[in-house]
Amino acid sequence: MDKLLRTYKLDVGYRSVVVKDVEIEVSPGEIIALIGPNGAGKSTIINTITRQLIGLSGKIYIKEKDEASYRGEDLAKLMSMVTTKRITPELMSAREVVATGRYPYTGRLGILSKDDWDKVDEAIKLVEMTDISDRDFSKLSDGQRQRIMLARAICQEPEIMILDEPTSFLDIQFKIDILSIIRKLAEEKNIAVIMSIHDLEFVEAVADMVIAIDDSRVKAVGKPEDIITSDIIEQIYHMEKDSGKVIVEGLKEYSKALKKMINRKKYED
Amino acid sequence: MRNKTQGQIFVIFIITVVMIAITVFSMLLGSAEIGLSDFFKLFNGSTDEFTGNILLSIRLPRILAAIILGGALSVSGFLLQIFFGNPIAGPYVLGVSSSAKLVVALTMVLLLENGLVISSFGMIVAAFAGSILSMGVVLLLADRIRNMSLLVVCGVMIGYICSAITDFIVCFADDSNIVNLHNWSLGSFSGTTIEHVRISLVFVVICLVLAFMLSKPIGAYQLGEAYAQNMGVNIKALRIVLILTSSLLTATVTAFAGPISFVGIAVPHIMRGILKTAKPILMIPACFIGGAIITLFCDDVARCAFAPTELSISSVTAVFLSPIVIYLLIRRGKKNNG
Repeated sequence: MDKLLRTYKLDVGYRSVVVKDVEIEVSPGEIIALIGPNGAGKSTIINTITRQLIGLSGKIYIKEKDEASYRGEDLAKLMSMVTTKRITPELMSAREVVATGRYPYTGRLGILSKDDWDKVDEAIKLVEMTDISDRDFSKLSDGQRQRIMLARAICQEPEIMILDEPTSFLDIQFKIDILSIIRKLAEEKNIAVIMSIHDLEFVEAVADMVIAIDDSRVKAVGKPEDIITSDIIEQIYHMEKDSGKVIVEGLKEYSKALKKMINRKKYED
Repeated sequence: MRNKTQGQIFVIFIITVVMIAITVFSMLLGSAEIGLSDFFKLFNGSTDEFTGNILLSIRLPRILAAIILGGALSVSGFLLQIFFGNPIAGPYVLGVSSSAKLVVALTMVLLLENGLVISSFGMIVAAFAGSILSMGVVLLLADRIRNMSLLVVCGVMIGYICSAITDFIVCFADDSNIVNLHNWSLGSFSGTTIEHVRISLVFVVICLVLAFMLSKPIGAYQLGEAYAQNMGVNIKALRIVLILTSSLLTATVTAFAGPISFVGIAVPHIMRGILKTAKPILMIPACFIGGAIITLFCDDVARCAFAPTELSISSVTAVFLSPIVIYLLIRRGKKNNG
């Protein structure tokens, strides 16, 4: 019973159900990848867990307590997130954006202590953005922004991190960097991660468990090597017969290479 | 970082000094010749009755009103800009001021016809009802119109409709008080009494304290709803408080000074430029002081530039501040195109 987060018969959606009977479990230090075609409902699940949406039925438990019973700021101390939504803060430096992660720990007026700023700088160092931290956030590249948003989520000192497509719009090197950092967080800080991802080639390198979603339900759950198979891939992405096999064969080689890269990167510093 | 904050606090200190200086300057400004020595005599009580009267009963209430209400208007604009996530929002351009004016005029005329005079408190209540009304319409429109510039155009139209109806009411109501009403409906601080100042001070201080205490969630809200929610902000409650506070501020201003154009939209922009930040904890006090300075200055121009004829305050603020709004629109257009 050491699950950090657990959903039970969770139905998610807007007015009508998008995904039914979602059951996700995540332990400390574990990374779960949500895969599935566009519009399958990965973001809907993530938005429900992070309270952007209200679950239609079922329960979410965090540390075996009903999520609904947590006060906003208490939940914020346990769970942080990075969404695909672009933020457009005005006149904020990258460091100030990261500092908003300390929000739940500050007093009524939201003034950061020296200790808070140290944690901000530590998180910035972890994502290797120290050099640009005083620059205006709106002038950063996509890859830099994504790292800054990740640093923001890190300095919130969560036990669970929810990441919606953290690698979208990034080039290959940035993808490797971001995923190495996430892997490192899980291993060193024992943070549980739930992330949606489109880049199947990275799944094996980064995830411990994979949940495949399609057709408004969870199609398969298991270890990456058991899920990224020709059958399942063909099925969830609605591919022509036998094309899954071709893709997965190619994917395996690339995946192996990326795994090497990510592990090397992780232990470099 | 620390130096930056210190610098910003120093800037706020400087503009406070400027505000005090322009207050003293405004006290001395006017058709009756009053020098600095007469002003200082006020403090030891040795002024003659005539000078004292002019300073304390005529100029002081008007100046205090310009400070309090001008500040209130810019804070209201700042809150609206946060709410809509857009720098072009403001109480005047969204039609809030005009509809507050309409409801006040309507209430006044109806009461006058029955031989009643509206109280200061009643004026604020009427203005608040008006501003909530148009805010409701704007929010309904905002749900359909995602484009902020279009929403502003709708707001301006709402403003025109309200002004037209107000003109109509003023035109056909028969009473000697209408002369006053006409001046007020264009926006003016003339005829402000110390009682007006007192009651508006109460409302404005309540709103300001509330806004300032909310600077933490407001700051989080600037990152967008999703992140604010994740940081533990109660979004619904915050949105309601933001709308109510900014409406009440605008209502208080409109009740006593009529609609004042462009202060609410332009001042927050100027202050962001000076302070190089959008943090509410610094911006709320800075907007108040900045709004006070600009409104007081514009009121000085309104009453002295063509004395003894008085201009309406809005014609002065429009001349000075609308170029800033145009600049904002152009810069925004550029940003969106590339």
